[in-house]
Amino acid sequence: MANNNDNFDHVIVKKPSVGERMFKYRWFYLMFLPVAVVLIIFYYWPMLGIRYAFSTFKLKQITLRTGPDYSTGLGNFARLMDSDPFHAAFKNTLVLSIINLILAMVCSVVIALLINEIQNAWGKKIVQTVLYLPHFLSWVVAASIFMLILSAGTDATGADTSNTGFINAILLQVGILKTPIDFLTSSKAWPVVWYIMNRWKETGWGTIIYLAALSSISPDLYEAAEIDGAGRLKQTWYITVPSIMNTILVVFILNLAKVMNVFESVFVLYNSLVYDVSDVIQTYTYRVGIVGNDYGYSTAIGLFKSVISLILVSASDVISKKIRGYGIV
Amino acid sequence: MKKKFNLINPQYAPRSWFVVFNTLFFIFLMLAMIVPIVKIFCDSMVNETVYGLKLLPMTVDKETGKQIWFNTIAYKRIITDPALYWPFVISVYTTLMTTFLGLLISTLGAYVLLQKDMPGVKIFSYMLLFTMIFNGGLIPTFLVMKNLGLLDSLWAVMLPMSMNVYNLVLMRSFFEGIPYSLFEAAEIDGCTPMGIFIKIVLPLSKAALASIGLFFAVAAWSEYFHYVMYIKSANKYNFQYKLRDLFQDKQEASEGVDINVNTLKSAAVVVSIVPFMFIYPFCQKYFMTGVTMGAVKE
Repeated sequence: MANNNDNFDHVIVKKPSVGERMFKYRWFYLMFLPVAVVLIIFYYWPMLGIRYAFSTFKLKQITLRTGPDYSTGLGNFARLMDSDPFHAAFKNTLVLSIINLILAMVCSVVIALLINEIQNAWGKKIVQTVLYLPHFLSWVVAASIFMLILSAGTDATGADTSNTGFINAILLQVGILKTPIDFLTSSKAWPVVWYIMNRWKETGWGTIIYLAALSSISPDLYEAAEIDGAGRLKQTWYITVPSIMNTILVVFILNLAKVMNVFESVFVLYNSLVYDVSDVIQTYTYRVGIVGNDYGYSTAIGLFKSVISLILVSASDVISKKIRGYGIV
Repeated sequence: MKKKFNLINPQYAPRSWFVVFNTLFFIFLMLAMIVPIVKIFCDSMVNETVYGLKLLPMTVDKETGKQIWFNTIAYKRIITDPALYWPFVISVYTTLMTTFLGLLISTLGAYVLLQKDMPGVKIFSYMLLFTMIFNGGLIPTFLVMKNLGLLDSLWAVMLPMSMNVYNLVLMRSFFEGIPYSLFEAAEIDGCTPMGIFIKIVLPLSKAALASIGLFFAVAAWSEYFHYVMYIKSANKYNFQYKLRDLFQDKQEASEGVDINVNTLKSAAVVVSIVPFMFIYPFCQKYFMTGVTMGAVKE
């Protein structure tokens, strides 16, 4: 505090005590009250429910008005480790999110670079408006659109093809297919459809952050490169890409932290015929907990997921601090 | 520096060819984005059994050979059938309510977080941020709703959605742009904290209110899973839920009137995106402000 070169040393500014400051800010506590109430009820109170992960707790016990039975201890986690559906869900979560993450990065970066090359301001505006549009549609709408354009027909046997969707109609017309395929019930095709749906909806939106990074590159760099005789391609490779590398990394680790969260896009598109490739941890939790009413076991699955997420977020935070000097939360 | 467009002259040709391919690429990409939506729009106005490659909302009557454009039978069904229009009303109601509550909570929270000297403000902000990285999970949250008696109540959907930490933090970054001297001046003039909030902070943050309000509105309009979790009565489902229902249950959709199932499904998709399509062209800049703001956070 004391600075010897400062002539105001003798002026002692007494900092008000905590009590005085609390009184001064009394109205602010009142203003924070609604925020705190919602926060505590809907976010902190559920955290107490984590204890059910160490219990057997099923719906029939609620109707009998007996609470959860904690004698099982870590039993739910032992059951988890032996459960084939859980292993499948865990694997699918990782496979779907990581492949989607890589596709997202590649598509958005490439498209952002190409948008950046559009010279015509109007053209650029129209392209951006159209590419951002699907982001604002809900997952239900996106899945509905895909179900309609991919539908094979009304009949599973393929006999009646009166409701054949757009994509099957094209493939039939071109002669690639003899009979329409039901893409969404095929384990081979489902993940591909899911990746395409995700890219259709989010690629354009994903370019925004790269475009912001691109617009902040100094034009002097390009002028200097031009004088040095670097062509357009070399300029892209030696100036543009290194300039946005930081942004690419940051977006990548931010999304890596969210790898376990994949849910709604799967939930609206999957069906019981493709559980083997589409069931992710969150959908599995939902089916066990809400549909099957096995609260103890499903809380354990949820906790397992949350802990992995927490580790991923912390790791991302550390990496983020290294790269750009501040964390992600 | 403007380059000449010339496909033959070796000095300009590579760049010119690139421009040609780039343009073609983006035309293709825009078609890929738009054609699925256009196709659904057309199918919703064609009430026949074969859609195939049709990309015009037109059918030819087999007997008279007359062209029928824009068949609106499916839309008539939606606006006359309570099972289909009531969810739309619920959607409108929950969207308006969630947007209002969301803005209330974000502005209040953000304004309090601005008070650096206030005892406990650090704890509040950590409490908020912690929920971004950890939560109780699906089942414990469900059980809390159950204990509160909120199952089958629209509050179970609206209240959790109105507390969005990301939007609150975004709102705070907007508020930080307001010069601090304005607050001091108002305080000296005897303005109460609530007065400063209503007379200075809110009027100066119209753009922020518009863009964060739009975030809340789009999220509330698109919400589906909360309804699956918490709502049991048919008269409380929103339009997204109803839309999903149509796709899962074939019988209900086709019963009664002779509308092809897929025509009705397509029309329902169109109805659920139309309100957004109306506001999107006018509000795009507000959506953008929010995102770039979030991108340059801190």
